[in-house]
Amino acid sequence: MPGMNSGINVSDPTVVAAFKAALVHQGLIALLIFALVGLAWITFRVWLPAPAPGAGPAAEPLAAAAAEPAWRRLLRIGFGVVWVFDGILQAQPKMAVGLPSQVIEPIAASSPRWVQQVVNWAGTNWSYHPMQAGAASVWIQVGIGIWLLVAARGPLSRLAGLASVGWGLVVWVFGESFGGIFAPGLTWMFGAPGAVLIYAVAGALIALPDRVWYSLWLGRLMTAGTGAFLVGMAVLQAWPGRGFWQGTAQGGAGTLAGMTGSMAQTSQPGFLSAWISAFTTFDEAHGFAVNLFVVVALAATGVVFLSGRPRLIGPVLAGFTVLCLADWVLVEDLGFLGGLGTDPNSMIPFVLMATAGYLAVSRTPAAEPAVPEPAVAEPAAAEPAAAAPGSGWRDRVRLARNRVRPQAVRRSVATASIQSVASVGAIGVIILGAAPMAVAQASPVADTILAQSIDGSSNPVDFPAPAFSLTDQHGQAVTLASLHGKVILLTFLDDTCSVDCPLIAQEFRQAGQLLGADTNRVELVAINYNPLDTQVSYIQAFDHQEGLTGVPNWLYLTGSLAQLQQVWRQYTIAPPEILPAGSMIGHGDYAFVIDQAGHMRQELDFDTGPGTQATKSSFAAELTDAAQQLLGHS
Amino acid sequence: MRGRPPAALALAVLALAVVALAAGCGSPAPSAPRPAAEAPPGGAPFLATSTVTAAGTWAVAVMGGPVAQENNFWQLFVRPAGTSRWQLVTPPGTADNGGLVLADAGGSLITGFRPSQYLTYTPLTLTRDGGRAWSSTGPLDAALANVPDALAAAPGSGHLLALLTDGTAELAAPGYTSWTTLTTQRSLAATAAGRTCGLQDLTAVAFAPPGTPLLGGSCGRPGTTGIFADTGGSWRAAGPALPAALAGQPVRVLRLTSTPSGTVALLTAGTGSGASLLASWSPDAGSHWTLSPPLPLHGAGLSSASFGPGGSAAVITTTNSGQIMTGAGSSWLSLPPLPQGTATLAPGPSGTADALAVHGGTLTVWQHVPGGTTWAKAQVINVPIQYGSSS
Repeated sequence: MPGMNSGINVSDPTVVAAFKAALVHQGLIALLIFALVGLAWITFRVWLPAPAPGAGPAAEPLAAAAAEPAWRRLLRIGFGVVWVFDGILQAQPKMAVGLPSQVIEPIAASSPRWVQQVVNWAGTNWSYHPMQAGAASVWIQVGIGIWLLVAARGPLSRLAGLASVGWGLVVWVFGESFGGIFAPGLTWMFGAPGAVLIYAVAGALIALPDRVWYSLWLGRLMTAGTGAFLVGMAVLQAWPGRGFWQGTAQGGAGTLAGMTGSMAQTSQPGFLSAWISAFTTFDEAHGFAVNLFVVVALAATGVVFLSGRPRLIGPVLAGFTVLCLADWVLVEDLGFLGGLGTDPNSMIPFVLMATAGYLAVSRTPAAEPAVPEPAVAEPAAAEPAAAAPGSGWRDRVRLARNRVRPQAVRRSVATASIQSVASVGAIGVIILGAAPMAVAQASPVADTILAQSIDGSSNPVDFPAPAFSLTDQHGQAVTLASLHGKVILLTFLDDTCSVDCPLIAQEFRQAGQLLGADTNRVELVAINYNPLDTQVSYIQAFDHQEGLTGVPNWLYLTGSLAQLQQVWRQYTIAPPEILPAGSMIGHGDYAFVIDQAGHMRQELDFDTGPGTQATKSSFAAELTDAAQQLLGHS
Repeated sequence: MRGRPPAALALAVLALAVVALAAGCGSPAPSAPRPAAEAPPGGAPFLATSTVTAAGTWAVAVMGGPVAQENNFWQLFVRPAGTSRWQLVTPPGTADNGGLVLADAGGSLITGFRPSQYLTYTPLTLTRDGGRAWSSTGPLDAALANVPDALAAAPGSGHLLALLTDGTAELAAPGYTSWTTLTTQRSLAATAAGRTCGLQDLTAVAFAPPGTPLLGGSCGRPGTTGIFADTGGSWRAAGPALPAALAGQPVRVLRLTSTPSGTVALLTAGTGSGASLLASWSPDAGSHWTLSPPLPLHGAGLSSASFGPGGSAAVITTTNSGQIMTGAGSSWLSLPPLPQGTATLAPGPSGTADALAVHGGTLTVWQHVPGGTTWAKAQVINVPIQYGSSS
């Protein structure tokens, strides 16, 4: 897919070091956020007197009848831990550069074109700003996880659930290609319908209002939904012609064995690889039996869950948990190994969801206690009484305005629980991750870190640039002196080159576009680097090919072979090499920055690298930055 | 419990419906009908050919590695007139992963580099000494068509006729920096001759003596040969009439070229398993033609077609069968089984032929004498392929 791959080595030391530095920097800020929020909380508690008995908000609910239901607590804590774990996985060194090309692109490869286009848009954006994107994924997920863990009840807890839904759907669409549901080979065993979708479902359940927590129908809905899903997956697994009934096919491994066989080759502990290889061998020999077992197990589990009977669900849940764990190890290979694993895949979330459903039908209290909204303190009793329901919008507006009065805010902060304070801190961590990426997205240009990772940074110089006198694409004579007063971005291009020179030309062209109002103060100059095709007609053809005809500040210069050779020598670039047997001219890639007085200020090694959209944009940004420095813009 | 069975049942039905949809949507799509063969990136094998000029016999063949990795490089070889040894004379300076196209300009040979990767126009180069030295000329600021007869030079005037990938035919005077449009496929199809043919595409350009531009293409109307001659600005049909047995067949011009003895064309009549190959010769710009007997192709295509002295021709089918004919009006003769990797044939006088076989960067020349049942290895050339230079 075009665009998604920045082309940089995923372990490139420059990028990895920058990513680590960004994470450490933001990690310190995250700690600072928690520290400041905590300090503010403590301070307000010290300044403000304690509210009189009967006045102000009720204390934290103490009655056991108001306790959070077990199923909700399981989902909240379970998925909170999983989100934190996923966030930590996103901090792996290879993630910043490797996620789009090594994870997202392969997942989308077998999906329909429209899915690939959706995914490619996100992947391309990531490739342009890998540091910010990688860090954002870390802190957003860690923040959501902490938020779920600390916010047990109340509006903040429900908001945490919604945050889980929102980010889960983002990851499901762009990171998991809709969980692969539009691609061939969909199966529960490989993680259908996408692990993160289960996170989103859990978040939606956590976000439900308190009044439905203890309702009987919710538990039944959860178990019935789980059951229907498993029955559906059983039917899908049993569907003929999808390759799961055969351990081998056409002399090779069948669908399941092929997948697990490739899993066994990934970097992981030896014992794990051995288990997976052994399972692969077993499946190749007994593919029908393995699939039959899975189909029966899924179907039976699904039917039991559909029944909604806790006495049946309990024992079946234990078996289903074993099945999930076995699949998690032997088929999904734990999901997070190899340096680019993003999550533990789907089996742990499945177990959490199924167990929560069981708890929801088996431990629902007989009565639904009245549960007051805790933690976020209500205004003091001296405040006007809350508007009665149906008393009109004016009263609601007055109530809301009362809540945001400084006195009310201070009181709310002072009486907030530690869980609320921690929740605010977690929200701050999410913003810490999201904000830099949002700011980066505002720029259409890729980070210069990509160019620097390919060619390194240049050292500044300051000496008179060698003079030249050549002919431009219009047949007019051009000298270096005639360009004094302008910043010159200079390169050497082979006019019949089929690989890197067109890329460099595009980078120069893009740099010209980025200069905007400064265009008339910068000259983009290329000098012919081909010793055989020196005619003006050839540089005109190259300009036409690259869309540079008519670019006002573009000059492509040529001359006689002797003139060109002299310029190549004076600029100390490697002479072009005429290679045999149908090869193009052998040459290097260079860029120079010359100031308005004709002094050389930067010499750039300008190897284009993989020539992806992201790297081209990055090189263009590097040129633009260099020019703007000389123009006096920071 | 009240309400549970219907809700659970509804959920189960919904799940099954989704599963059925998923199984259908997610299943591999059925195989699409195979499309008509088109040139792959990097130059079609059909560009492999040989031709004869005053300087000698020239051959074009692709060597090296896979197209997908841009490690395929087209090579030009020459067997100088009066000698039996081949020499590597690939023109330097431009990556030729897209293919090489030749045009005999009388005292010189012009070579066009077909576009490849980011090179989208056509550099031209010229040799006057049998490939020992090359000088840059042109360029053609457009993409040369992916056929071996995309370039033709007029004897005497040296005008160059080029067929572009979009079906435009352009003309330039020596120097080849200023090109004018001679016609387009659409314009030609709208002429009377083009309508009679039902012209679908253009496949070749040539000059007939004394410098009449010729265009060849595919006709949609059965029984009509799509060869057209430019007579002072208007186009007339100039192709051969087909024998009655083939009158109802659609005809495609595969090759159209000028030789010292006139114009030679290779035609396919019919499609699929019923297609046959005909050679035709004209000494007078298409007014009169001599046709060869048809050669049944049995569903095969051509991977190479070459022309030699005296109107001789040689072809290699996609089933690796070699056929040769010695001149105008002669019959097709089967060659012995071709050496492995034979890229093109160079027919010689009296039914002789050289087979140029490729294996990676090694070219092996095999020779055949009439009546012989085998090929004799004559020469090996190791070509210094610059692997990775186009990556």
